[in-house]
Amino acid sequence: MNPMLALFLAEAQEYTHKIGSRLMQLEAQPANEELLSEVFRIVHTLKGNSGLFAFTQMTEMLHAAEDLLSLVRSGAIPYSQALADPLLECMDLVSALCEDIAKTESIPATRNPACNVMAQALRALIPAAPGIQTPGGAGQARGRSLAAESSKSAGDAALRDLPEAIRMEAVRRAQDAEDLFWITYTPPPDCFFQGDDPFKEALQTPGALWGRALPAQELPPLAELDTYRCLLQFKILAAASRPELEEHFSYVLEQVAIVAVDASALITPVRGPSPGALSHLPAASRAPSKLAPIGEQIAMFGELWSAQEQILRLEDRPAGWEGRVKAAATTLQNLALTAGDQAASGAVAPALEAALRSSSPAPLLRWLENHGFLAARFATLAESGSPAAEVPVDASQPPQSSAAGEEPVRFGRRAEDATSTQFLKVHQTKVDRLMNLIGELIIAKNALPYLAQRAETHVDAREIARGIKAQHAIIDRLADEMEDSIMQIRMVAVSVVFQRFHRLVRDISRKLGKEVRLVLEGEETEADKNIIESLADPLVHIVRNSLDHGIELPDVRRALGKPPAGTLTIRALQQGERVVIEIVDDGKGIDPEVVKNKAHEKGLISAERMREMSAQEAIDLIFAAGFSTAEVVSDLSGRGVGMDVVRSAVAAVDGVVSVESTAGVGTTLRISLPLSMAVSQIMVVESDGQLFGVPMDHVVETVRIPRNSVCMIKQAATAVLRGRIVPLQPLNRALGIDAAPAVNQDDELAVLLVQAGGELLGLLVDGFREALGIVQKPLSGVLSGLVSFSGSTLLGDGSVLLILNVRELF
Amino acid sequence: MPIEYLSDRAVFHERVPAEEAEGLLEWLQDHQKAVMDLGPCAHLHTAILQILLCALCPIGVLPREPRLRAWLLSSIRAEEGPPVVSRQDR
Repeated sequence: MNPMLALFLAEAQEYTHKIGSRLMQLEAQPANEELLSEVFRIVHTLKGNSGLFAFTQMTEMLHAAEDLLSLVRSGAIPYSQALADPLLECMDLVSALCEDIAKTESIPATRNPACNVMAQALRALIPAAPGIQTPGGAGQARGRSLAAESSKSAGDAALRDLPEAIRMEAVRRAQDAEDLFWITYTPPPDCFFQGDDPFKEALQTPGALWGRALPAQELPPLAELDTYRCLLQFKILAAASRPELEEHFSYVLEQVAIVAVDASALITPVRGPSPGALSHLPAASRAPSKLAPIGEQIAMFGELWSAQEQILRLEDRPAGWEGRVKAAATTLQNLALTAGDQAASGAVAPALEAALRSSSPAPLLRWLENHGFLAARFATLAESGSPAAEVPVDASQPPQSSAAGEEPVRFGRRAEDATSTQFLKVHQTKVDRLMNLIGELIIAKNALPYLAQRAETHVDAREIARGIKAQHAIIDRLADEMEDSIMQIRMVAVSVVFQRFHRLVRDISRKLGKEVRLVLEGEETEADKNIIESLADPLVHIVRNSLDHGIELPDVRRALGKPPAGTLTIRALQQGERVVIEIVDDGKGIDPEVVKNKAHEKGLISAERMREMSAQEAIDLIFAAGFSTAEVVSDLSGRGVGMDVVRSAVAAVDGVVSVESTAGVGTTLRISLPLSMAVSQIMVVESDGQLFGVPMDHVVETVRIPRNSVCMIKQAATAVLRGRIVPLQPLNRALGIDAAPAVNQDDELAVLLVQAGGELLGLLVDGFREALGIVQKPLSGVLSGLVSFSGSTLLGDGSVLLILNVRELF
Repeated sequence: MPIEYLSDRAVFHERVPAEEAEGLLEWLQDHQKAVMDLGPCAHLHTAILQILLCALCPIGVLPREPRLRAWLLSSIRAEEGPPVVSRQDR
């Protein structure tokens, strides 16, 4: 990608974020002029930047937003939620466009309708009152009203103005299946000052058949004419596709009305019948705009008819056979309608049903045989010129709606759709420090050839070894410092993730009719970029849950004696080597009884277990897979994504999630994550002659127990360790290695006591090795499917060490 | 000079930019019976076109450039537009 464009995208992302957050701050303090000016400035910059790359759709939209904001700034219109919503949506659309640009370096044409709708929605908010003068504002408002007018009377106007020769040409073009459009282009009066030459634009309209310039309003006498004001309007008849025309007028799209012209309207004009044109189309004058000569139509009918027959007679039965038969049936239905036989058309559906039931096309083939007369009927119909029944699919759609209406307009992006940050902003001192370390490393590296040379000439092995150890100490220090340095660079403040919650909470609480105050604490807390990014989705889900299920409606809260507005606190803090995120709400809390009953209903726990469960254990059930307490699946939290997904997402980055809740008072969810995950400590163990790594976080202790102190409870081996019963599991068995755990000369078993999720397990291994600091690499390719291992690393001798995924062993 | 002002007519050459508008307007006020010669003209700025439509001055020679010629014909033939006079008519 062009580096300028990459920079633009990075900046655009930052700007849209900033604009979004400022707009929301403005809602709380609408009179804050500083904020307003800042928003205006950023929108202006973003508009200018988008113009540099000729992303006209984006520029137009931002231009409208800028005009609107400039009015707010001047005090002409007050800032309110009614303004905030479309502006926020506009920013969502801009970031969606940026994503498109990042993928294809251009804005796809399918976005045009959404952009135009947005630009118009923003313009519509600009009051057309006199006295309010924005750059181009008044003219554009006028252009719009004219556009609406002309779309109503487009056909008439076109016919009144068109010379006969042009109309003939237009009809001929329509017969060649070309699209005809009637364009009314009304430039704003001050367009000359912007360096525009509307006449030139109009002249160069693609596919223009005819065009005319006329005064948009009555022209003054020559002596009073202001040469700097544009008073003209342009009308153009063009045979081109709508996207082509929109592309041509993309800079002035809101000043242009493009209306599809129905060829039939050209044939029977207002000014009187046009025999020349009519002679071209003797019969099918009521047919849709794209006309084929009669002979061709009859031939086509026959072709379609026999094609369906051939399709139905095909003997193979592919997977999509049903679809094929249905398609053929639909075609036959429409053919019958075209031939004007409603009854025949109606008879297709039962035949189709019978065919699908019996998995044989026979009923449809029978219909074909019985209705062979339709082709002849169609021929007579077409030649006599009487109106055939129109195929409903075609007739119900007005020509101009097909272009704009097909693509669903979607710009209501939700805040959580935002993509992760791809750029790191790093303070220069951090990079300088890294640079210095690299310099030192290069010098340290140069010592190694010297040592090698000495090893060749000297035979004193001990002295050489001492030299190597000294160099190792230096390189070790450098590696440590570099690791620390690069971690510093990767550190990102949690505010990156927290930012989006203002918007999310605002939108959701509004949708639910709840009042929520969002409090963010510890936004400056830093953690590794990957950790922070992995936090985003679980957090969004938790926040949605809190808003949807936790915080009550204002009336309910008042009745309970709580303040009507609920408080949602998202707090980040550092605890040792971990970062802790707390999501606290003062809602209705989790009722352990409800959770227990629900879990029992869903078959997650037995009745027995239900009775003996503690309240905390019951609350923890919300993390069980397949659990969701929502009665109604709402689009907010009941998307089939439960808290179990949150837990596994957090676990994937070595995090732990826990919940505390008091019914009626509120709920606290706590996510604890490692600060960084680049270098991890592992313990190396040996089993059946192979080495495996176990993450140190899971290791509780290493013990040796006499073989005779292992007891069997049912089929499970257990041992009592420090007064606790611990289940034992040979690592060999867990990994499918066919060997018994080895014992040492004192007949003792090596037990590696590991814990995960609060549970203990004694892994029986053959022996313990050293502890190592490693950089774990995830398994790739087919190996990534191995759940027993979380990754691999290289040992000092170059061999590969597999790291066990301890959670999977339980 | 994009517009060549003669005693009884103005000849438009090549592309006539918006900057000529003011001069043309003044000249037309002093020469109300003048005839426009657009033969060598390739393009008119909107501002110039607007003056021609407003002044109702006769157009003696239409542009040779076919697209501009067609547009001018359709625009000035409207009721309020200036008459087109051929050279022979004069």
